Amino acid sequence: MSTALAGGRWIRADLRARKGQAALTVLAVAGIVAALITAVTLLEDGTNPWRNLSAQTDGAHVWLYTKDSPQAALGAIDGVTDTAGPYRSAPVTVAQDGKKEPAALRAMPAARPKVAHPVVAEGRWLDSSQLDGVVVERSFATSLRLKIGAPFTIIALSGERHTLYVRGIADSAEQGFYPEWTPGLAWVLPTMLERIEPMLGRSEWVTGLRLSDPDSAQLVSQRVVVMLEDQLQRVYTWREVRAAMELDNRLLGTLLALFGVVGMVAAALALANAAGGRVLGQLRDLATLKSMGFTRGQIALLLLVEHGALGLLGVALGTLSGWVVTAAFLGGVSVAPVPMLAIVAGTSLVVLAAVGVPAWRGGRTPPIPGAPAAPPRGHLSRMARLALLVRLPPALILGTRDAFTRRVPAFLTVFGLAVPMMMITIGLGVWSTLDGFLRHPEQVGQHASLYVKPGKLEPAEAKAVTERDPDVRAVYPGTDVNALAPGEARSVRVRALGTTSEPYPFPVVEGRMYARPGEAVAGQGLLDLLGLKIGDRVRLTVGGSPLIVRIVGRTVEPDLDGEVLSVGLDSLAAKDSVPPEHYALALRPGADPGEVRARLLAESGESLEVQRVVNPADRLAVIRVVIVALIVVLSLIGLANLLTASALGLRDHALDLAVLKAMGLTPRQVMATLVTGTGLLVVLGVAAGTAAGISMVTGLIDLQGHTSGVGAGIGRAPSALTLTLAVLAAVGAALAVALIPARRAARAQVPVTAR
Amino acid sequence: MNPVLKTVNLVKIYSGGAVPVPAVRGVDLQVEPGEFVAIMGPSGSGKSTLVHMLGGLDARTSGEIWLDGQRVDTLSESAWALLRRKKVGFVFQFFNLVANMTVADNVELPALLAGVSPKDARERRESLLGALNLAERADAAPGQLSGGEQQRVALARALANQPSVLLADEPTGNLDSRNTRDVLRLLSDVHKEGQTIVMVTHDARVASLADRLVSLFDGEIVDDGRIARRRTGTAGAVIDLR
Repeated sequence: MSTALAGGRWIRADLRARKGQAALTVLAVAGIVAALITAVTLLEDGTNPWRNLSAQTDGAHVWLYTKDSPQAALGAIDGVTDTAGPYRSAPVTVAQDGKKEPAALRAMPAARPKVAHPVVAEGRWLDSSQLDGVVVERSFATSLRLKIGAPFTIIALSGERHTLYVRGIADSAEQGFYPEWTPGLAWVLPTMLERIEPMLGRSEWVTGLRLSDPDSAQLVSQRVVVMLEDQLQRVYTWREVRAAMELDNRLLGTLLALFGVVGMVAAALALANAAGGRVLGQLRDLATLKSMGFTRGQIALLLLVEHGALGLLGVALGTLSGWVVTAAFLGGVSVAPVPMLAIVAGTSLVVLAAVGVPAWRGGRTPPIPGAPAAPPRGHLSRMARLALLVRLPPALILGTRDAFTRRVPAFLTVFGLAVPMMMITIGLGVWSTLDGFLRHPEQVGQHASLYVKPGKLEPAEAKAVTERDPDVRAVYPGTDVNALAPGEARSVRVRALGTTSEPYPFPVVEGRMYARPGEAVAGQGLLDLLGLKIGDRVRLTVGGSPLIVRIVGRTVEPDLDGEVLSVGLDSLAAKDSVPPEHYALALRPGADPGEVRARLLAESGESLEVQRVVNPADRLAVIRVVIVALIVVLSLIGLANLLTASALGLRDHALDLAVLKAMGLTPRQVMATLVTGTGLLVVLGVAAGTAAGISMVTGLIDLQGHTSGVGAGIGRAPSALTLTLAVLAAVGAALAVALIPARRAARAQVPVTAR
Repeated sequence: MNPVLKTVNLVKIYSGGAVPVPAVRGVDLQVEPGEFVAIMGPSGSGKSTLVHMLGGLDARTSGEIWLDGQRVDTLSESAWALLRRKKVGFVFQFFNLVANMTVADNVELPALLAGVSPKDARERRESLLGALNLAERADAAPGQLSGGEQQRVALARALANQPSVLLADEPTGNLDSRNTRDVLRLLSDVHKEGQTIVMVTHDARVASLADRLVSLFDGEIVDDGRIARRRTGTAGAVIDLR
C-alpha cells in the first residue's frame, strides 16, 4: 500500500513530464484497436443482414425459377420442411423519375404464406380490396426513392403502361439488395399480375424451399436440377444471397484487419521503444528510487504500470471508439462480443508484453545513482568510417557515429519507422489502384461506359441511333443470360458481348482473348467456383439448350464476385442472342458519358434506355476515408518512435555537448550532429519501409483480388511522384521533429558535470 | 552501548575487468549511536564504495556488516531496499532528486514509502522544509533550484524517516563555499539532535566538522581518531571554516 502511494506519485510526476509522448502512445494504440474492432465487426457475420432477415421472414434456403409451375413433388425432397410458392413472376420495367429500372413483379396472395413471407417495414401488406396496390422490396424502394402512397408506373413486356400505388415497403431474404442484385422485387396480387401480363409464356414461376439443415442446400439444389431438368431456368441458394448482401464489408474488413494487425505490431514496437527509451533516460532516477528503498520488483512493477497503463488506456479508448464507429455505421447490434473481447484481451497482452521487457530491465538498474549510463563507446561504426572516407563535414561524421552507438535502440528505431512506412506505402498503393480503376476503366472490364437497351425502338434502329452519335466510338451488341452449371446446381452469369470477329476488349490478364465461337474468357470467381483452369472445356445450360465453351483466358471481373463467363454473342444459340438485349457503347476519350446519354435520349425521343456504368472505385470510395485515417494513425506511431529516438539521442549526448563545444563546434554544428544522428535512422527506416511496401503492395492487392473473385492483375504500386512526396514528407517531418530539441540542446549552457 | 553500524573484515573486489580490482580490503569499522564519522581519503581509496556497501547499494565480496544489531550483509537486494526505507538515509554528491517530481514530492516520497499516511507525510515534509528554509520552494521543480538548495532538499529527503544512520557521499563535492557552509551547518544541526552520520569527503575542512575522522588509503583504514574540538556549540565554528 505504502509503495503504491509512493509509486503513484512518481508515475504521476513522470507522466506529467511527458504529456505529449504519452498522449501519442494512447492515440496510436487506440487507433489500431479501433481499426481491429471495426475489421472484426465487418468480417463477422453479425453485420450481414441476411441472417436477421432470414430469421424474420422464415426465409427459404433454395430458390428455383421454372418456365411453368413445377409439377414435381419438391416438398418431398429429403430435408425440405416447407415450400414457398410457386409464385408467378413477370419481368417489367419500372419508370420512375425518368429512369427505367428492371423489376420482377411477383404475384403473392393477400394472406401471407408461412414460409418466406416478406416482412412489412412501412405501410401495409397487399389487400384484395385495393387491387392496384403494390409492395416494394425495401432496397428497391430506397433506390427509387419511393414512399408509401407514391405512384408506381410499370411497363409490361408488351409496352403497355400500368400505374400502381405503393401500399407497403417490405424486407425479404429472398434476394440481395438492389442495385447490386437485379431485377428489383415488387409484390402484387395474382389477379393484378394477370391483368398486367396475361401471357403466361412471358413469365416464370418461383419456388422457395425451406430446409431443416441450411448446409444441405447444395445437395437439395442438385436434386432439384435432376428432378426438373429442362423446366428449370435457374436456381440459387441462401449462400449467394448472403454473399450478395455482404457487399464490400469483407474487402474493407480485410483491409482494416491487415492494417490493424501490422499496425498493432508497429504500435507494440513503438510502445516498447518508448518505454525502453524512457527507462534508459531515467536510470539515475530509478537508482535514486532504489536508494530510497524501492525493491527491484517494485521498480519493474512501477514501470510496467506506468507504460502499461498508457497502452491499456489506448486499448480502452480504441475499443470505445471502435464500438462507436461500428454502431454508427452498421447499427449497434452488430458488434460481436466474443471477437471483441478477444481483441481487447489480445491487444492488452501485447501491450503488457511490449512494456514488460523494458520494465524488467529498468528493475535491474544498479542502485548506485552515480553509475554512468553512457552508451558503449568504441570504434567508429562502419557507416561513420564511410562518412569519414567521403570527407563529410565533421558534424555529419559525429552524427553518423552517434546513430549506431546503441545498436538495439538504433535497430528498433529503424524498424519502428519502417513498419508504419511500409503500411503507408501499401495504403497509397490501394489508393492508386482505385485511381487506376477510375482513370482506366477499360482495365477492369469497363471499356464501355454506357449501356443502351432498345426500349421501345427496334434493336436495329437503336443501334443506328447510337452509332450516329459523334462521341460513340464503338457499339457492341450484347446479352446477359443465366446459365446452369452442372454439378454446381446454381446459376452463373454468361455475358455475351461483342462478336468473335469484333470482340469487346475484355481485360484479359491470363491466356488470350476468345477468337472464335465456342471460346470464352472467365473471371477468377467463376474459375474458382467451377474448379476450372484456362484450357478447360465447360458445359452449361442456357434456358434448356447446352452451351459448350472452352475457356481460353482470364479477365479482370469486378462484377458478381467474378463469377461471370464472357463469350462472343455468336457463341450463344440464336434464340438467346437475336436480337441483342442491349448495346455497350465505348465512347471517344474525353467524352462525357452524361452528355452522350442525354443526347441519345433526346435523339431517340426518350425511347432508349441508357444506363451509365458504375465504376468499382465509386463503390469503394469509403476505402479512401479508411486509408486516410490509417495513415494518420500510422504517422502517430512513427512520430512516437521518433520522439523516443530523439530523446534518447539527446540524452546520450548531454555530456558530449560541452566537450564538442569545447573542441570548437559551433552551436549550429552541434545541432547538425544531433539531427544527423536521428535523421540517418529516419532515412534508413523510411527507405526500408517504402521498399518493403512497394515490393508487397501489388502482390497483396492481387491476392485480395484473387480471393474476392475479381482476379489478380488489378494491383498498382503508388506512382513515383506520390512515393517521393510521401518519403519527403516523412523524412521532412521527422527532421523537423528532431530539430526542435536539438536546437534547444545546442543553445543551452550545458554544465560539464551534469549527469 | 551497541554500535549502530559495524563492519568486520569488509572486502570489496571488483572483478568486472580483466584484472580483479580490490576497492576495500578488510575494513573493521564501528559507529556508535549519535556519532558523526568522516571518512577521508584520496580518489580511489574506496571511501565511496565503503559507504555504498554500508547502505546496501553495492554488494560486499566478503566480511560482515551489522546495522542496529542485525547482520545485513547477507540480505538480498530487495530486503536491503526494505531496510533502507526506515534505517538508512542517503545524500549524494549530485543531489539525485527525482527530476520530474516537485520538491515537496521528493521529500514526501520516502515517508510514503515507509508507510506513513499522506497527511502525516505532508506534515513531516512541511516541518522539514520549514526547518531548511525551503518551505516556499515546495512546488518548484528540482531543476529550478540552486545546487545548495537541491542538496538541502536531498538532505530533507534523507532525514524524512529519521533513519538510524545518514550516509552522505561527498555532500558538498559539487557546491560552492557558501552552499557548502549551509549544508554543513544543517548536518551539524541534525547531528546535535542525535543523528548518526557517516560522511565521505576529501575536503579536510569539511571533515573537521565530524567527531571522528577515519582515513582510508587503498581500501584500508590507515588512521582512525577522534577530533579534539573546541566546543563553541554555535554555527560560528562552521563559518570559521571559510
